[in-house]
Amino acid sequence: MEQGFRASMNWLHTWAGVVLGGLLFAIFWMGTLSVFDREIDRWMAPMIRLPAAEKTFSLEVLRPMYEAAAAAKSPTFSVGLPTERDAAIRVLWRDQSGPVYRVVDPRTGTILPDPGTLAGTRFIFPFHYMLHIRFQDIGYWLVGLAGMAMMALCVSGVIIHRRIFADFFTFRPDRKPRRLILDLHNVTGVLGLPFHFLISLSGLVIFWATYFPSSWQVTYDGNRPAFFADAYGNVIPKRTGEPGGLASFDAMAAEARRLWDGSALRYVFVRNPGDAKSVMQIGRLDEGIVSSTYDAAYFDGPTGALISHRTGTPPVMSTQRFLSGLHFIQFHHWSLRWIYFGLGLAGCVLIATGYLFWLESRRKKHAQLGLKGVRIVEGLAIGSVTGMLIATAAFFVVNRLLPLGASALGQDRPALEVWTFYLVWLASFVHAWVRPQRAWMEQCWTLAALASAAVLLNWITTGDHLLRALSHRHLWPIAGMDILLLTGAAIATVAALRLSRLSRVAQVRHA
Amino acid sequence: MPEAMLLLAIFAAAYLGFAALAISQDRHWHHLGGGRHCPRRACLVLRGIGWALLFVALALSLVRDGASFGSLLWATVITIGALSVVATLSWRVHWLRPMARLVQHLG
Repeated sequence: MEQGFRASMNWLHTWAGVVLGGLLFAIFWMGTLSVFDREIDRWMAPMIRLPAAEKTFSLEVLRPMYEAAAAAKSPTFSVGLPTERDAAIRVLWRDQSGPVYRVVDPRTGTILPDPGTLAGTRFIFPFHYMLHIRFQDIGYWLVGLAGMAMMALCVSGVIIHRRIFADFFTFRPDRKPRRLILDLHNVTGVLGLPFHFLISLSGLVIFWATYFPSSWQVTYDGNRPAFFADAYGNVIPKRTGEPGGLASFDAMAAEARRLWDGSALRYVFVRNPGDAKSVMQIGRLDEGIVSSTYDAAYFDGPTGALISHRTGTPPVMSTQRFLSGLHFIQFHHWSLRWIYFGLGLAGCVLIATGYLFWLESRRKKHAQLGLKGVRIVEGLAIGSVTGMLIATAAFFVVNRLLPLGASALGQDRPALEVWTFYLVWLASFVHAWVRPQRAWMEQCWTLAALASAAVLLNWITTGDHLLRALSHRHLWPIAGMDILLLTGAAIATVAALRLSRLSRVAQVRHA
Repeated sequence: MPEAMLLLAIFAAAYLGFAALAISQDRHWHHLGGGRHCPRRACLVLRGIGWALLFVALALSLVRDGASFGSLLWATVITIGALSVVATLSWRVHWLRPMARLVQHLG
């Protein structure tokens, strides 16, 4: 029975890992990068590399954009206010042609040039949780499936591990590749278990309304906005069609700050801009706690009168918001931010070594039996691991190469960057399939070259080289990004050199 | 500054705690110049110290960051500490020799 149970868990671990490994790696990698999404934004959009605003600024600088949104009958007008990690004001509304996105310098109130990139917060971060597949929420469901699989892999991995405590600290870099890879897989898996389990669980909890829809579908007859209005206390006005003004931004912001004892504000959000029944929602910024709170105040747009506000969360919601908060890390804690980044990378190593172990333990047997499995999985693994890293590096490189306002084949600049990412990713799979013997090594060289090129291009196009970035506080995110790119390039170079030595040794043996 | 010192202390406690637990295992005990098996008494002492240091790390985390951030910090820092012990055992095993010798003498 024991043997049968372990064998079945082994089967589950092996096949869930092989089938979903590529998806899991992509999600873990993008999630790890999302830890620094705002910093990536700064790197990819030089116009927002601003020093923090020294004094409080007037929100009235938003008025002309608000008028434009009202004239275009945009359903919403949303403003992200500056934080320590992001000095710019971000404004979003819709007009006839689609979403309009503006970044504003809070020190002067001037609208900055269009960044022309989706960068970290609008490409990498959404990729992490929905893969940019919007159709029927399939992206969310695939990520949810991967999250469930990750938890199942964590548990089944512990069950099939024969000597979990005896091997707790065991990593033998001098052993044969197969043993070494398994050691690394075990060590990152067992020691990283608390983080990996918690991060998968909290990721699933964030989207409970998507993954467990029947709870609100039954009680609210499928009316999602009505449910959220009750759950979060949102005030959703009906558009009257009558025109209406908007009271002073600053007066409403001051009132909101007063409600929360002077706390900073996270966002301003107007429903029905320009309508007689517009409502302005102001959110609180609380970076001092783990929970991702949703404290907000609602004002009647035309009069500026406070409609309602909420502070704190009821018990069930508190649990959900705590788990969400520890996943989102929007709080102020640089040590934890770096630790998350490191443990996220450990998760990537865990997934990649899982693939490698599968391949190494079957390579000989499949060659003898003439099976194709190893070749197919190897192609999948190369494209999913090094291919994903190369695509990311290519995304950064093309961002520095394309001039602002560039467009080609009817695609604007942000779309061109995204196309580059996907085409390079696809090309890495093709390359892995065509040259299976040398693909790992060649992709490591490509990665090293692209990552170095990104650093060099950042210097050439913006003048913010590493020394300059290190000596200005507001450019530290740029310095951090450059240092990580160079570290990545160095690791890829070492890996490529080792692989090429191994392949030479193998050739000598065969001769 | 005390924040940074405390963070370092938390990491040090986690690292040394896991190092003590690792040394108490036969494989690493032997690797670090001891006999085939870690003697019962030395093993108990090392495990006692190891767990105690992990609790010290928890206590320091809670002092530094309060209940919610503190527990999160502890849960993640101990993983970093344990991975560092693994790296030490693989590439810089002599760093842990003094600690092992000390216990071998006492044992």
